[in-house]
Amino acid sequence: MLNFISLLKNEQMKLYSRFATWSMYIILAGILLVGALIVFIFGEENEQTYGDDWKGQLAQENEELLEMNEDVGFVGFDSEIAVNEYHIENDVKPHPYDAWQFTLENAGLSMIISLFTIIVAAGIISNEYRWGTIKLLLIRPISRTKILLSKFVSVLLFSVTMLVFLFIISLVIGAIFFGINGWNPNLVQMGANEVEEVSIFAEIFTQYGLNMVNLVMMATFAFMISTLFRSSAMAIGLAIFLMFTGNTIIGFVAEYDWAKYILFANTNLNQYIGSGSPIIDGMTLGFSITVLVVYFVLFLLVSWLTFTKRDIAGN
Amino acid sequence: MTTSMELQDVHKSIGNKQIIKGLNFTIKRGEVFGFLGPNGAGKTTTIRMMVGLMKITSGDIKINGVSIKNNFKEAIQYVGAIVENPEMYPFMSGWKNLKHYARMIPDITDERIKEVIRLVGLEKAIHEKVGKYSLGMRQRMGIAQALLHQPSILILDEPTNGLDPAGIREIRTYIRNLAEQEQVSVIVSSHLLSEIELMCDRIGIIKNGELITVEEVQDTNTENDHVTVKLDVDDNEKVKSILQAQLELETKIVQDRVVANLAKSTVPQLVRKLVEEDIAIYEVAVERSRLEDKFFELIGENTIA
Ligand SMILES: Nc1ncnc2c1ncn2[C@@H]1O[C@H](COP(=O)(O)OP(=O)(O)OP(=O)(O)O)[C@@H](O)[C@H]1O
Ligand SMILES: [Mg+2]
Repeated sequence: MLNFISLLKNEQMKLYSRFATWSMYIILAGILLVGALIVFIFGEENEQTYGDDWKGQLAQENEELLEMNEDVGFVGFDSEIAVNEYHIENDVKPHPYDAWQFTLENAGLSMIISLFTIIVAAGIISNEYRWGTIKLLLIRPISRTKILLSKFVSVLLFSVTMLVFLFIISLVIGAIFFGINGWNPNLVQMGANEVEEVSIFAEIFTQYGLNMVNLVMMATFAFMISTLFRSSAMAIGLAIFLMFTGNTIIGFVAEYDWAKYILFANTNLNQYIGSGSPIIDGMTLGFSITVLVVYFVLFLLVSWLTFTKRDIAGN
Repeated sequence: MTTSMELQDVHKSIGNKQIIKGLNFTIKRGEVFGFLGPNGAGKTTTIRMMVGLMKITSGDIKINGVSIKNNFKEAIQYVGAIVENPEMYPFMSGWKNLKHYARMIPDITDERIKEVIRLVGLEKAIHEKVGKYSLGMRQRMGIAQALLHQPSILILDEPTNGLDPAGIREIRTYIRNLAEQEQVSVIVSSHLLSEIELMCDRIGIIKNGELITVEEVQDTNTENDHVTVKLDVDDNEKVKSILQAQLELETKIVQDRVVANLAKSTVPQLVRKLVEEDIAIYEVAVERSRLEDKFFELIGENTIA
């Protein structure tokens, strides 16, 4: 155990000794800053302030929304109307736009973290080959299995660190631009069937957690490809390509029964939560989790077999 | 003498190509063993098998009696190695690189790391990035990481590669000290006889994946052996005639030196004669011809140098 922690320390040291890694944090912070500036300058949400007569304001808003609904001819704004009604009926004053909402909206940026994690996962093995350091790494009294595991855990550690960074920096930037209302305000939103009031903190973490599923699967995939082909470019390319085209592919083959066994039909667990509905009829949360676990184990098994069995020959 | 390493009928095939065709030899404790062969002979491949980077197709390698094949973790503890170039993480300092490898072995203190740094003479540059190091400095880093855990067997694949003459001599002295004072067995590979003959006790010659011969280095220079002597003197012609008349030696003049082939035991006599005849002697160079001749004979002149 002690030497596993040493291995993790080594991997983190190598990761954070490179500017490329720090630039990922800088890029993420940069995107958030630009996003905050855009909302601050052009956004309307933060101009919408509710005074003492907030119930009257909400009722008026609802009338406008109803009119728009009729104009367009479909029920596009039903959930907004329901949310507003919930506020009025339950005497819950809506919060103005603040750091928490900013953080929730930017939970989607964990997509970028997925991208960065794929890059790290794709390099962590293949770089050792590229630098030639793999030879010195594997002549220590430590099994290859342990070294591989420490590298995989390091990738996960990196993504968690980045998520924590995203959370903190979103809150900080949000607080600077929009202020902050309390430490754990509630959020009124449309649930599965009805309007519900949830803790915004819990909501942010649900979003992060759901995105983590996709992140972990794609990172594991990139990790496998890079172990298999010892090329980070190939691993990054394939993983990112599949990440962006996965849903489109599912769209094309959704009519077939076997489509539900494809990884990408299962990575978005949002389909089972709240107002979502499964991509393919008959899929359940349990089914998706099983499929994900099978893929996960398969990816790791392939990595393990190639890494432990392969000769380290010159190239 | 106890055995440090034993190769037992080691074979290696990649695809259907036989690269190593049955190597058998042992390395004794505290001995410096030279592993000599032309490019592509299979030196690096053999070394990769010794340290478990490549699987042994058939046969086995025992390190201090422990099989690297069946008990990798125990066997490798005794070994420090450089395989081909000593590649380091270029974006980290020398210190961090060593710390990295130190963390992978139990009980290596920062004190020990500093000691090794002092030993290879890298104190000044140790906090600079390895990417800025010269080849010689990286070669020293390679030796430093191999010595961290005080191995009883040191395996160095072409350690003199890229070193200047002073660097080569330094490594040579250093390797001899390790072997003589700390009883470390050292395996050095090279494709240049001249670079390793001065530091090795024995030299094994490998060609096309086969061990051709193992030679004791001292053996090649015993009293009865013939050596080539090159004399730098004031009067070449006079020396030539003295040697011919008094010692019955065939001589020729090459590059303004008198060259003669004679038994090593007659060298003192030759010098005495020349002094008696009042010849000014600037240099008497004895070349160890036998080993070199043997290598040329076995491997062919143009492939070895
Ligand atoms: N991965 C591989 N696949 C196929 N053949 C290989 C592989 N690695 C090495 N060889 C072959 O094995 C032979 C021995 O190579 P090796 O690197 O062991 O030679 P060497 O003695 O270290 O040579 P050098 O002095 O150039 O370092 C060469 O003929 C080489 O072509
Ligand atoms: Mg070689």
